[in-house]
Amino acid sequence: MAAVQVSEAEKVYILHGIRDDLRVDGRGCEDYRHMEIETDVVSNTDGSAKVTLGHTAVLVGIKAEIGKPRPMVPDEGYLEFFVDCSANATPEFEGRGGEELGTELSNTLYKVFNNKHSVDLKSLCISTGEHCWVLYVDVLLLQCDGNLYDAISVAIKAALFNTKIPRVHISADDEGGKEIELSDDPYDCMRLNVENVPCIVTLCKVGHRHVVDATLQEKACSVASLIISVTHKGMVTCTRKVGGGSLDPESIFEMTEAGKRVGKALHAPLMKLLQQEESLGKKHQKVGFLG
Amino acid sequence: MPTDTKRVRGPELSQNPGLFACKPAGVVHATHGPRADGRQRDQVDVRPVFVRCGLVSQAKGSAYIEAGNTKLMCCVYGPRETERKDETDMKCGRLTTDMRFAPFSCPERGSWIQGSQDKDFSLMLHESLQPALCLHKYPRSQIEVNVMVLENSGSVLAHAVTCASLALADAGIEMYDLVLGCSIRQDGASYVVDPSYVEENSCSSVSGENQGGLTVAFLPSLNQISGLQSDGEMAEETLTAGVRTCIEGCYKLYPVIQQALAKAVRRAAPPPSES
Repeated sequence: MAAVQVSEAEKVYILHGIRDDLRVDGRGCEDYRHMEIETDVVSNTDGSAKVTLGHTAVLVGIKAEIGKPRPMVPDEGYLEFFVDCSANATPEFEGRGGEELGTELSNTLYKVFNNKHSVDLKSLCISTGEHCWVLYVDVLLLQCDGNLYDAISVAIKAALFNTKIPRVHISADDEGGKEIELSDDPYDCMRLNVENVPCIVTLCKVGHRHVVDATLQEKACSVASLIISVTHKGMVTCTRKVGGGSLDPESIFEMTEAGKRVGKALHAPLMKLLQQEESLGKKHQKVGFLG
Repeated sequence: MPTDTKRVRGPELSQNPGLFACKPAGVVHATHGPRADGRQRDQVDVRPVFVRCGLVSQAKGSAYIEAGNTKLMCCVYGPRETERKDETDMKCGRLTTDMRFAPFSCPERGSWIQGSQDKDFSLMLHESLQPALCLHKYPRSQIEVNVMVLENSGSVLAHAVTCASLALADAGIEMYDLVLGCSIRQDGASYVVDPSYVEENSCSSVSGENQGGLTVAFLPSLNQISGLQSDGEMAEETLTAGVRTCIEGCYKLYPVIQQALAKAVRRAAPPPSES
């Protein structure tokens, strides 16, 4: 991740503030920065979303393609994740610099979605063993100011909500083979149920306390962080400790509990916002990239 | 997709014959049945472990671990001079980890080219080992840890962490404590510690809640967790209980590892005779 240089005096300042539940920008330890979400920003995709969390900006585009299902699970479709750290975010990402971070992020996303309930994969099947929908989820990092995991997971949830998969009709053609026909009506599409899609919460251990949604300065003062992905029911789909330091088992228990609480509370307002945006339909003003 | 030009490969579309095997009814693991190798469910029953240090003569330190059918070996090279000298290297050393699976290690043939899963394991190994090493004592140096999995029969990452920390100790790298790894697999209401490959990858027929795997890397003397990784879908209480179980598993393994290390040191530098 792009690192900032923080002096010792600044570190002490941040540490003492967090100890008293007061962060540099005035938030409490479990508060998020201002988050803006907009869906349907890229017209060439089947679903897209852009999330701005403080100064971190993430753009997710989802394209649905017809492919062959995996041999072990012939009656399910699947998702493929790819995270691209664009050189726009920081000069460190130029060329192959961002590749390591990108693979780390996409590997974590595979783990987060590696369970039966997050996305209903059976609904992505077209014909067992032959055709299925493959959703290519491509994440683009536009700006990097800490807390990438949270922004990416919210953007993926919003983009999956926005995804419109065209309906296909399988018919038998003359020689007995199967023919796929796409429905003529461009608005005839299938939507995904994103109720169970988890959101990732990153908790950074700073001093003896933990903070949610750390900025780059706060990250520079912490030795270790815990990433926890929580569904709306409070089930944990993936946890991971990142960073070069070690954590006390008691801190881990505290952080998982806090992460579950924060993550669970994130889902309801997010779904409400997405449904509100959807219901505005044509009327909603597109903010786009310059808002 | 990077192609391997060094080997004459089989046809691109080759498939594992296991895909065509008809699954006998009832092979799906009953969640309350006994485990295949006789160990107990819901108890901290780790597989007996065989460890030996100092196998590879060229390496500064090496270790081999066998747990059930899981076999891995680790070699440590270093401290060596780093090629790149940027500012961070002036103050403390750098740890490089690499974990590879032999293509014949898993039931499905893997490839020699590092997939993203291998890179993921290498990263987690790095995160688990880094807190234990006194890297500030090795400025401008690089320590390389290479783990090779010879046979994957479950909980590979946990045993890789143990093996790597043993190899580092054998190499004489200063450490705060040994790092031990333990993993569990949660299946509904019961869990199994140190799962075998079949137990790790079985999907129970009931699309149950509370299914997943957890791996913990632990420093026993300091009571610190240096690595934590879980997947699947579990309730938070199950996760917490699972972490406690893994810590217990690590404590069980500790005396064996300590003994193996002491034996290796005694063999390398026998104590002066009494006469």
